[in-house]
Amino acid sequence: MSRLDTLRGPVPPHDHNARTIAALAANPGCNRRAVMDAAGIDKEKTARHLGHPATVGQSVFAIIRANAFEEQVKANGCAQLLKLLREKLDLSLPEVSYDDVNNVGDDRGLRHSRTRTLLRQAAEDRGGGTLFDHPVLKLNIAGKSVYLEPALIAFQLKGRFHVVEIKSFAVIDGQADPGQVAAAARQSAVYVHALRELFAERNLDPALVSHDVILVCPENFANTPTATLVDVRQQLTVLKRQLSRLTRIDTILDELPMGLTFDLMHDQDGTPTRSRDELLKAISEVDARYAPECLASCEMAFFCRDEARACGSTDALGRTVRDQLGGLESVATVLGLAHGTLLAAPDQAEIASQLRLVRQFRLEATA
Amino acid sequence: MSIMTAYAQAEAVRAGRAQPIASVRHAHLSTRPLVFIPLKMAGEAAAPLGAMVGTHRDDPHLLVVPQPRDRSLRFAFVTELAEVMVPYIESFQRASETVGTREPYERFLDAPQILVPNRGGIGFTRLLGRSSRFRSADGPYPVHPSVPVLGRWLTFLAERTEFAGASTLLAMTELLALHWATGQSGTEDGALAALLAWIAPPEGMTALEAAARAENPLLTPPAGPATDPGFDAGVLQPGIEAYDSTGSPAQVRGAIKSQLEPTWQLMWEAVDVLRGLPEGASVADRWARDRDDFSRYTAHLATGGAPQPRLDSAVAAAMRLERLEDAQARYDAQRAFDDPLVLAEYRLTGTTFAGRVIAADPTRIVTGRRRVLRPLITVQTSDPVRLAPGQVLRSPARPGQKAEITELAAGRIVLELSGGMGNSLTPRPGSVPEIGEWLTYTDLEVPSPRKRPPFPSRENTPWTHGGPPPEYIPTDEDAQEAWS
Amino acid sequence: MGRLLSCGIVEDPLDALEERITKLRAQVREAKAAGDHARVKLFRAQLADAERAWNAALEEAPAPPPSPPLLPLREQVHQALTLLGVPTPSRLIVSVNEAFFAGHLSSSQLTSLRRDEERSFRTTPYSRPYYLCAALTADLLAPARGLLAVSTWPLATRIVGPLSSRTDFLTAAIRIAEHIARLEAPGESAYRLLTRMAQNIPGAVDDFDQAVPARVIAAAEAELALHREADQTQRAEAAARATKQLDAVGQFFGAGLKSAARTA
Repeated sequence: MSRLDTLRGPVPPHDHNARTIAALAANPGCNRRAVMDAAGIDKEKTARHLGHPATVGQSVFAIIRANAFEEQVKANGCAQLLKLLREKLDLSLPEVSYDDVNNVGDDRGLRHSRTRTLLRQAAEDRGGGTLFDHPVLKLNIAGKSVYLEPALIAFQLKGRFHVVEIKSFAVIDGQADPGQVAAAARQSAVYVHALRELFAERNLDPALVSHDVILVCPENFANTPTATLVDVRQQLTVLKRQLSRLTRIDTILDELPMGLTFDLMHDQDGTPTRSRDELLKAISEVDARYAPECLASCEMAFFCRDEARACGSTDALGRTVRDQLGGLESVATVLGLAHGTLLAAPDQAEIASQLRLVRQFRLEATA
Repeated sequence: MSIMTAYAQAEAVRAGRAQPIASVRHAHLSTRPLVFIPLKMAGEAAAPLGAMVGTHRDDPHLLVVPQPRDRSLRFAFVTELAEVMVPYIESFQRASETVGTREPYERFLDAPQILVPNRGGIGFTRLLGRSSRFRSADGPYPVHPSVPVLGRWLTFLAERTEFAGASTLLAMTELLALHWATGQSGTEDGALAALLAWIAPPEGMTALEAAARAENPLLTPPAGPATDPGFDAGVLQPGIEAYDSTGSPAQVRGAIKSQLEPTWQLMWEAVDVLRGLPEGASVADRWARDRDDFSRYTAHLATGGAPQPRLDSAVAAAMRLERLEDAQARYDAQRAFDDPLVLAEYRLTGTTFAGRVIAADPTRIVTGRRRVLRPLITVQTSDPVRLAPGQVLRSPARPGQKAEITELAAGRIVLELSGGMGNSLTPRPGSVPEIGEWLTYTDLEVPSPRKRPPFPSRENTPWTHGGPPPEYIPTDEDAQEAWS
Repeated sequence: MGRLLSCGIVEDPLDALEERITKLRAQVREAKAAGDHARVKLFRAQLADAERAWNAALEEAPAPPPSPPLLPLREQVHQALTLLGVPTPSRLIVSVNEAFFAGHLSSSQLTSLRRDEERSFRTTPYSRPYYLCAALTADLLAPARGLLAVSTWPLATRIVGPLSSRTDFLTAAIRIAEHIARLEAPGESAYRLLTRMAQNIPGAVDDFDQAVPARVIAAAEAELALHREADQTQRAEAAARATKQLDAVGQFFGAGLKSAARTA
């Protein structure tokens, strides 16, 4: 049994998807997340058992809307999408070829090999294949294969393949919510990366996969789609670094006590029986790097926040605050230096004198 | 974010309670604000789900869209909202004053003030304005005539929020965060309930306990515009299905009300908290600018002016940028002059210092072309000053008086004073600081009333900026834009 | 998605209602100013009624839709497919049925149709004049997801290659346009369907206009000419292969029985 298996306990590993892989890149410095994800631990259940259930989730309405929009854009052999690609990217009229990978059935392994076959044919014979619907890609996450089912289309334009991402948030007068665009870019980067891996594996040039993703969104308040090219190079860099971190997970594991496990010890009904204190102690063996951004992307966030608050960490206040406070780690140090009750270490001299001034000025201003 | 605020946050953590970062209120607070809490359908750009709106805490109007995907119900919502908001806005168009000396104009004595819970509320207001201002009461897809009027006002209000210090539309969380630092991050401060939990926790609860309660969507529904996904699936969806099958909106109505009521109470509590702060000295000046803009836009509408275009023309964009910068400079300086806690931030950067007057020559006369009164004072300070001789400073204690640095060495700064002392060669009593007085001097300056740089007229837009833009005339296409 | 409002209906009641609404608004304001809450409430209620009436008058449908035909489901689908003449996704079948036959199918009703037809064919082959069957993919001769076809069509028509989703879409648009041109009084929904399709065909319609059948036909034919030859070659080649390799059930419902049972 590998150390990761020991960590997880006797339950099947939790599946990754593009969203969870993209989330890995959100906080690359967090060992706790890296270890839990690498081991395929169900973070949602763990957080719940620790008494800090997550609130990360999507509304049913958002899901319904997303599916309806995607279906609409792809209807009738992607009629709407073709029109967009023709108008926005000068796709030539004869290029209308459409292959639906789903025609081989539901099995993901089968669909993946079908995807590989279709893409290889298209890449080797430059004439064939424009749109590939429902492809299944594969990515290696910490030594484990993860299937990715992008609800998207790999699209060949002028000999290069593009990931098409269909999202239902609106672009209004040329502007979209930057947070949602960023999330879409992170997710698409996962697909671009997986697609490039697939090409490399088949001895095809990965550069055939463009780093420009085609983002299709409804325009203004209607359902009419519009397309925008999004450059995901930056997201790819972050993702690759995080993935390589995961493959080097051993260096983190080496520092953990032997036999450490996050096993919830489910009984026959699937109810966790592990003592909460024991689990808490085990989890605390792996350092987290909490930041308020985690609240939107990690199931463990409330637990880690509680932990950060309990030890008076400035992390709980956010990165900008911490930076303003000269990177000092704890609230106690900040206040101690400001009050002069704590002696500043040499590297703290500058921030300490700043903080003393801050305190003095605040006192004078409120006097 | 400044180190002053960051430090105040650290203090808040230790105190278990929000700490003030302002000693006066830096925004106008109307005696009759309109609180507006919109909710939107998840996954849609601007599909209204409901709203609570009104000017009295015990008389909220509840607006509900029982089937948010139905376009006609959406416009019925906007119509109903217009029925509350437009009369409110128009009620400020009755009394005016004549102002301006060279080119006198009429300015309304007061202006509307709309309070939404958070930044998202402003974004929703903007989108609702965008989706209704081009609509037309006739043509193929007619709407109630009040719809485009409300759309224009909502757009006006949303655009005005970009000006620093404007108070016609305010997000409550931002307003509170301007005055208090909490022991939690900006992410948590974005939730009205969690922010208020630190500023004014309910009796018998610590801030942390109150904040934890505020984060539980079952106990404290989110302040919108997004609703809680659990609520969507468990309560709202069955409600909408019930409406679809029975035609009765009662279930959706009850659901929406349950999500809005707690926030409605919080909004008025926040208003009370803010009323507890004395108003800053220059708030009235900035509110006058709000009244100016409100009067101008009223006139624009009265003369049948077109709705705001989708995108600004090049000249309009440049002018707007210049006005934004002017507003920002004014706001920054005025806030510092009004409030020693804000001014303290500038002491850290060395552009402002505080100290005691240790020497004064109040009757010094300088003879140039004519004899003028130029008193000298010496201020001793321990502040880390980063200023140079020749620099002109001002003190909030005597804002009409200039003080030029003539010497600066070892914490002693000699200042030559001019202005604000009367017209004779002897200073008016009290107009020159006396020995022993504690003073602050700063290089901040409130910009003098705007001198606009010469922007080309619309017709003379340079070709580098696309040449003269076509006159914006709303088209049928705008009016018919699908809202599905 | 909201219903389209039809214009030019009953002007007078609307005018009268609008007048009443304006008057009531003023009364609400007056009562409010006077602090008379009871009257405010009363006028608000009346105002709400008037506005509901206004909305209702505006929304009033010009004529009730003709009562749905009493044809069984499979015959309604057959009718739509016969009009289109190409393998068709279920959603388009639903739209055509609605636009031309005043039907009210839903996509979910069609989900099990193909499986039922296959079962019937297997138990008593050729007992029906036609079967609603699968379209086969050109390369694997497997049933294509989500497409329905008619067993009496030539095999090549029932086979879809990579280009076929486009050619069939264009052909469907042409068939719909032709049908509209044939009808004496084609309905609003027929035009809406054609316009929606035309918007995705280059040169078939201008932005917000209603599609004109002749122009749609010309534009679709023009694009079709680009793909037709290659598409037909691929289909014919695959059809020859299918004839050799597959038995009757396979030719109608695809190779690989497992997947046939699964597809929808």
